[in-house]
Amino acid sequence: MADKDVIIDFLKSKSAAKSKFYFKDFTDLFPDKGPREVKKLLTQLVNEEVLEFWSSGSTTMYGLKGAGKQSHAEGED
Amino acid sequence: MAFISSGYNPEKPMEGRITDIGPHKYDEYFPPVIKKNFGKWLYHEILEPGVLLHVAESGDKVYTVRVGGTRTMSITNIREICDIADKYCGGYVRWTTRNNIEFMVEDEATMKALRDDLNSRKFAGGSYKFPVGGTGAGVSNMVHTQGWVHCHTPATDASGPVKCVMDTVFEEFKNMRLPAPVRIALACCINMCGAVHCSDIGLVGIHRKPPMIDHQWADKLCEIPLAVAACPTAAVRPTKVEYNGEKVNSVAIKQDRCMYCGNCYTMCPALPISDGEGDGIAIMVGGKVSNRITMPKFSKVVVGYIPNEPPRWPTLTKTVKHILDVYAANANKYERLGDWANRIGWESFFKLTGLKFTHHLIDDFRDPAYYTWRQSTQFKF
Amino acid sequence: MAKHATPLLDQLESGPWPSFVSDIKQEAANRAANPKGLDYQIPVDCPEDLLGVLELSYEEKETHWKHGGIVGVFGYGGGVIGRYCDQPEKFPGVAHFHTVRVAQPAAKYYHSKFLRDLCDIWDLRGSGLTNMHGSTGDIVLLGTQTPQLEEIFHELTHKMNVDLGGSGSNLRTPEACLGQSRCEYACYNTQDMCYQLTMDYQDELHRPAFPYKFKFKFDGCPNGCVCAMARSDFAVVGTWKDDIKIDQDAVKAYVGGEFKPNAGAHSGRDWGKFDIQKEVVDLCPSKCMSWDGSKLSIKTADCVRCMHCINTMPRALHIGDERGASILVGAKAPVVDGAQMGSLLVPFISCEAPYDDVKEVIEKIWDWWMEEGKNRERVGETMKRLSFQKLLEVTDTEAAAYHVKEPRSNPYIFFKEEEVPGGWDRDLAAYRSRHQR
Repeated sequence: MADKDVIIDFLKSKSAAKSKFYFKDFTDLFPDKGPREVKKLLTQLVNEEVLEFWSSGSTTMYGLKGAGKQSHAEGED
Repeated sequence: MAFISSGYNPEKPMEGRITDIGPHKYDEYFPPVIKKNFGKWLYHEILEPGVLLHVAESGDKVYTVRVGGTRTMSITNIREICDIADKYCGGYVRWTTRNNIEFMVEDEATMKALRDDLNSRKFAGGSYKFPVGGTGAGVSNMVHTQGWVHCHTPATDASGPVKCVMDTVFEEFKNMRLPAPVRIALACCINMCGAVHCSDIGLVGIHRKPPMIDHQWADKLCEIPLAVAACPTAAVRPTKVEYNGEKVNSVAIKQDRCMYCGNCYTMCPALPISDGEGDGIAIMVGGKVSNRITMPKFSKVVVGYIPNEPPRWPTLTKTVKHILDVYAANANKYERLGDWANRIGWESFFKLTGLKFTHHLIDDFRDPAYYTWRQSTQFKF
Repeated sequence: MAKHATPLLDQLESGPWPSFVSDIKQEAANRAANPKGLDYQIPVDCPEDLLGVLELSYEEKETHWKHGGIVGVFGYGGGVIGRYCDQPEKFPGVAHFHTVRVAQPAAKYYHSKFLRDLCDIWDLRGSGLTNMHGSTGDIVLLGTQTPQLEEIFHELTHKMNVDLGGSGSNLRTPEACLGQSRCEYACYNTQDMCYQLTMDYQDELHRPAFPYKFKFKFDGCPNGCVCAMARSDFAVVGTWKDDIKIDQDAVKAYVGGEFKPNAGAHSGRDWGKFDIQKEVVDLCPSKCMSWDGSKLSIKTADCVRCMHCINTMPRALHIGDERGASILVGAKAPVVDGAQMGSLLVPFISCEAPYDDVKEVIEKIWDWWMEEGKNRERVGETMKRLSFQKLLEVTDTEAAAYHVKEPRSNPYIFFKEEEVPGGWDRDLAAYRSRHQR
């Protein structure tokens, strides 16, 4: 499976419980890759509008674009 | 209102996009005398409170007039600062780390005209716009956070208490008669996004009640696992509860583990933490960052809780002023507040200030606590 | 006539200190008058609504803001903080009121042209209210709506050639003291190191991939005006190795009262005649100085470079010529496990552009922390959890006595197997040949 699909499948498989994940959750998917390589994949997916960032101000998470409950609650969708 | 496009095309966000260009280079806006003498400064002198003279190896001089500013600042105010900079300083101006504004000129006559002009400007409400001061052995401007103006987890306001404290210690901003500099800072909650943990006097907003749980909305507004993961002390766990005869997903909070940080509210608006009668301010003293004479040190809590008393916070300002006065009357020249307290002993600090020592002031948070207890028979009655 | 009555906030207009309430009111009046004839892109009365919601907080002693995490500009994980008001019907002007962080030039030197251009963008597309500056150093534009975010970013980058600052789990906007631009104590070019590293690490600043926030701060000397040691995960603090330069004639001028001690910082009170023995020599923390009535001597090997003598007699004493910086790692504010000060890692590093030796240390720390750090764990906490020895190991630094205040007072040493002759695989049969069960 392509690396990007590994990420997307992971997010979809978890979508019932939660929609946002820390960077480390993705490095765990690729035990053979260093964090910088995983970051490149995530950056590509963000630039392709598949993923988006979510920030608590102090921390940042990644999720599938538009997923989760907050967008709708705040009228941002 | 008609939408005015900047030229950005939302259909093609990457088209013509400029990213990763960073800030402007630091020397782009140096006044000419600064640019010319960069790295060649010889010595400085504080001519009067708020006025610095720096002399370069070349013999060039730069006079700096420092004024206190509000951190929360309108563009009308910034434009007025620009007007002043244009009139006296060739348009150049800088800000300091402590929200002060510095205007630099090259001759004494212009400095005096600038200083008097700055001191003459007042807001319609009567306060100074640009009070000159904040240098040497006095109180400089406070660094602070957002508070009720813009933050979601504050236990107090920031701009308001800062205004009240600075009003109260204004003479120390305008003078240099304390034993050493006194740095005051305010953070509106324990997360301290404006770190105040090494200030001579640190004011910290504290909550005293764990968040409420809005079971009706928790599962609708939030992703439960994220709220659970947000808790630094693992006090939040997922659970199912009965709500209006229905089983709903929600969380349970182990209240005696809660440190009132508000992280779960950041993740989940169904866990509000603000509480008008519970929230307030703790006072910490004796921290410093400089390595001068003694090593940098953390501030220590000397007042565990003062209620929020808007709009003027009278108990808070009175207590801060009192600590400052006792320090000024008792410390040696060059002695920072924490160095004074260490020299006389904290027992004497509480005796001299009359502040009440309570059990809240004894550290009971994890490992570092033990090292603050007294393992000695040396103490003062 | 004000939109909302604010009897409580009005009491913050009196007193000498600059009143933020008066300032917000003047912005409200400016927007109502609209002297530039702007087609304001967010509600014209948002400063009034901000005062309104703040007045409500002053009545109830509770905040009315909620956090919003989704908003930002495309491709960046930081730089925008989402904010929503929890009373949007009462205060529609601030129902959505997001913050934008703009990268400041190191040490915050500006020209009015830059500030006016920024004000023009914020006049049209935001609330007209700012923070000058945020605690980390950014210019903070306080309050706009989601559709304006990309427009503001486009104008900042295209018209003003300036970028957003950091927020979230990334490299935060670095900051430096004013250093050599106007200070004789600066041991290296703090602003340049700050600028170069900010530019070199733009990807780390905008695209979060760290366990938590990471801050750089650059202080030119041990006085620490930007609080690097207390506030940054990676603190570069200027220092020197050779002798403090002494101008004995100028020392005499201080003793004789010609020069004001401490650059005049204590001139507001009569502290008596300057006493060099009491005020300088006796206060030296390492007792490395002596004064014989005509000559000041310093034993450099005993000097810990605390700055006190230099601060007190700046016309007589000057920092040495062999200059560089110390690196201290791991400072943070108290949550969760208590506040931490930076711990000394590199005692002396030269500070010559392009700063490859400094970057090497940074990148080794990042590689380790990105691999080993837990979610929401500052590097100082990772150090505490995995040991200072581990930090030394990953940065290829040899342990030395200056790394500690004192050696450990327990003998529970974790030896590595290779440190022990013969290793840990032992010959049980041979042991039994010497000992019965």
